This record gives sequence, structure tokens and C-alpha cells, in this order.
Amino acid sequence: MSKSIVSTAVAGALLVLGSQSAFAAPDWSKVAKRDINVFHAGATPIEWMTKKSDHSGSAGMRKGETCIGCHEEKGTLNFNFKRLADKELEPKGAPKTMMFPVSVQAAYDAANLYIRLTFKAPAGGADKGDKDNELKATMLFADAKVPQGDQYGCWQSCHTDARTMPGADDKKTKYTPGGAYELVQWASKGNKVSDGTVTTERKMSGGTSGAKAEGGKSGDSYTITYTLKNPGEGKTVPFGIAIHADNASGRFHHVSLGYKLGIGADGEVKAAKL
Amino acid sequence: MAEKEESGFMAMLTRPSAKYSLLSLLVVGFFSGIFFWGGFNTGMEATNTLEFCIGCHEMRDNVYVEYKKTIHYTNRTGVRAVCSDCHVPKDWTHKMIRKIQASKEVWGKITGVIDTPEKFETHRLQLAENEWARMKASDSRECRNCHSFDAMDVEKQKLRGSKMHKIGIAEKKTCIDCHKGIAHRKPKGMKEDEDE
Repeated sequence: MSKSIVSTAVAGALLVLGSQSAFAAPDWSKVAKRDINVFHAGATPIEWMTKKSDHSGSAGMRKGETCIGCHEEKGTLNFNFKRLADKELEPKGAPKTMMFPVSVQAAYDAANLYIRLTFKAPAGGADKGDKDNELKATMLFADAKVPQGDQYGCWQSCHTDARTMPGADDKKTKYTPGGAYELVQWASKGNKVSDGTVTTERKMSGGTSGAKAEGGKSGDSYTITYTLKNPGEGKTVPFGIAIHADNASGRFHHVSLGYKLGIGADGEVKAAKL
Repeated sequence: MAEKEESGFMAMLTRPSAKYSLLSLLVVGFFSGIFFWGGFNTGMEATNTLEFCIGCHEMRDNVYVEYKKTIHYTNRTGVRAVCSDCHVPKDWTHKMIRKIQASKEVWGKITGVIDTPEKFETHRLQLAENEWARMKASDSRECRNCHSFDAMDVEKQKLRGSKMHKIGIAEKKTCIDCHKGIAHRKPKGMKEDEDE
């Protein structure tokens, strides 16, 4: 009898411990939200972005200006979306919704960094290349060696010769001219998590962030929560978000500009200390 | 006989008048001058209208179609800049120089240098570069007939324009340095500026 009480108590304690570790994520209702707009960027890789005859703002970029320094304004992005959807910059066809907001929250404890994305993914995509996944939500984190990683966000990994770009090799992936990006992706089919990197090529595994991710759809709203190793208090990490909505593949994602995540430090998104 | 008459006419032109007073001659000359001068300028202004420019299919089917989609053709304030507002100087001296240069375009029209869309595309870069060079050399004078940094409140602009104009002012840039392709499609194969 007493034996069974002890075993029940042990089992109960294990259950509590277990559920604690499984649900160590913060109380998100207490964590501030930052809306970040993701948009369909058309075929505007870093080569386009840094070419003056394509993007006159490249003069600002060379002076150290960030993408959001010019383009994020009054809670929205001030792009000429007609131009981005026009066949010159989007020869394949643009999605019906060119931009939508993603609510971003972040928190950290000694071990982990938690990031939560909440958004309504639009239908009406122009590319349904990924038959398996209705949705993929990816985050890229640039390390300090990515050239202008804190200015250009993901764009340093986005090139004119990468697959799905007009006329590009179908096997060539993203790459960076230096440094590395941590890549964390949640895919809707089977709740799959990929912890990869972007260096001279993109790899969907072999990442060092120890990423876990939970995601799901409730009504028309998605919530994805990533758990990564805490890079260290006091650090500011450049990041970008890419949402492949409506079975999109390759470059047919909605992407964010480059933002910074402050872990006990400054940034557009400040992680709350738990 | 005819030769005598002709020499008589020439003699009449060169011989001091005994029949008309100097005042009459001056008055007639003054008003004739106004008439011919006015006629000349009216004729020249007629070549400055949008209708004149798109009278040729080379302009109507190519650059005009592109321009119609831009803010210089239609905008919320209802002010339109027509071809000559950007491409022909306003002041008389520069206007005359430009008009004389433009006579070369008549030759182009006669020989059909850009009389098909394909030929136009072949020449688009060269044509654009000519015009950019003209605008750069005049410190974007035609742009500045309407726009000026003095009258510009960069704080009221969208962030991206505001930031870029601050750089432009600081570096003494001229409008055309950045605002290429605002009224017509940019040509393929544009060269990057050497001063960048």
C-alpha cells in the first residue's frame, strides 16, 4: 500500500517535473508584442538591392542605413507594391495579399530563448510549389560575420542565381558571402522542425541553435513557438522572418526586412526576462 | 527687261525713301516686328505641346504610353507636366539651343531610326543616356522649374524620400542622379554611375 503511494507520488512528481520542462515557455499574455510586416518581395535579391539603377536607396545602404530605417513607417511598409507585383519584378505572378502582419513576442531564461509568432496566413498565393506543407514559418539569425547582417537582414542570403529566381539554376540554394545564418523552420506537415544553417549553401540540418518548434492553426490564425539555446544575455541578434503561406515554395514567401532581437539589450524586439 | 525690274526692286530696298516718312517706316517696322516675332514664338510654342510630341507614333506608342502611368501625367493635385516641361528648357536662349539640336530628330524621323518598337528598344539606352547627360549638365534645370530643395520640406515626406533627400542635399546631388526612369521605363543595361 505504502509502496504504491510512494510510486504514485514519484510518478506525480515526475509528471509535474516533466510538464514543467515541456511547458517552460513563458506566459505569453504578459509578453509585449511587436508587429512585423512580411511582404512579397518579388525578384529583388541583394544584387538588385545594392544596384543604384535598380534601387536608389542603395546610396543610403552604403551609408549604413538599415532597410527598416527607410521603409518601416506608421506601422506599415512604404513600398510601391504595384511595382513589386508588376511583371518586371515578379514575372511569375504575385500573391493576392502582398503584405500581412506577424505578431512577434520573445522571452528568455538562463537556458533558452523563446520566440512566438502569431499571424493570419493569407490564401491567394501565386506559387503552390510545396504540395506537402500548407505553411512553413522560418527564422534566420545572422551571426556577426555576415557582411552587413545587422543592416540587410536575410537579404545577404538572397541572390539572383538562387533557385526559383528568374532563369536561375534549380539546384542552387541561398548562400551568404561570409559568416553564417542559423535557420530554424517549422513546417505544417507533421509539425516538422528543421534546425539548419546558411553558409556557402543552405542546409536544413546541422544547426547549432538546438531549435525546437511548436506550431498550429486555430481558426485562421497560426501560432508558432520556437525554443532555441539562449545566445547570451546582453546580445543583440539580427533576424528575419519568412512565411511560406498557401503551399508556396522557394522565393514565393512573404519575408520581413531585417530586425534586431535584444536579449537584455536593445532591439526592435526586446526579449522579456523570465 | 525683267533684269532691270529686279535691279530696280533691289535699288528700291537700298535707296533712302523719299515717299514715306521715317516715323511711318518705324511704326510699320515696329508692328511688323511684333507680328513676326509673335508668330515665330507661337509657332515654336506649338512644337512644345503634348499633342505635337505624340503626333509621331514613335513617341505616342512608346514613351507616351509609359508616361501616362506615372505621377507626372496624373496625380492627386491635378498638375500635369507634359513632355516639354521636362525635355525643353523654359528660358529662351536654352530653348532655342535645344530646338536647334532637336532638328536632328527630324532627320531621325525621316530615316526611320526608331520607327518600330524593336528599333526603339535598341536605341532606348542611348536616347535615355543622352537625356540624362543633358539633365545632369544643367543641374536638372527643368526639374527645378517646379521642384527645389528650398521649397521642399523633407520632414513631410515619406521616410524613404526624406532620408534620401537629406543625403542628396548634403552631397549636392542633382535630381536626375537618383530620379531616372520616373516618367518612362528604365532601359536595360544601364551603366552604374562612376561617382558612386
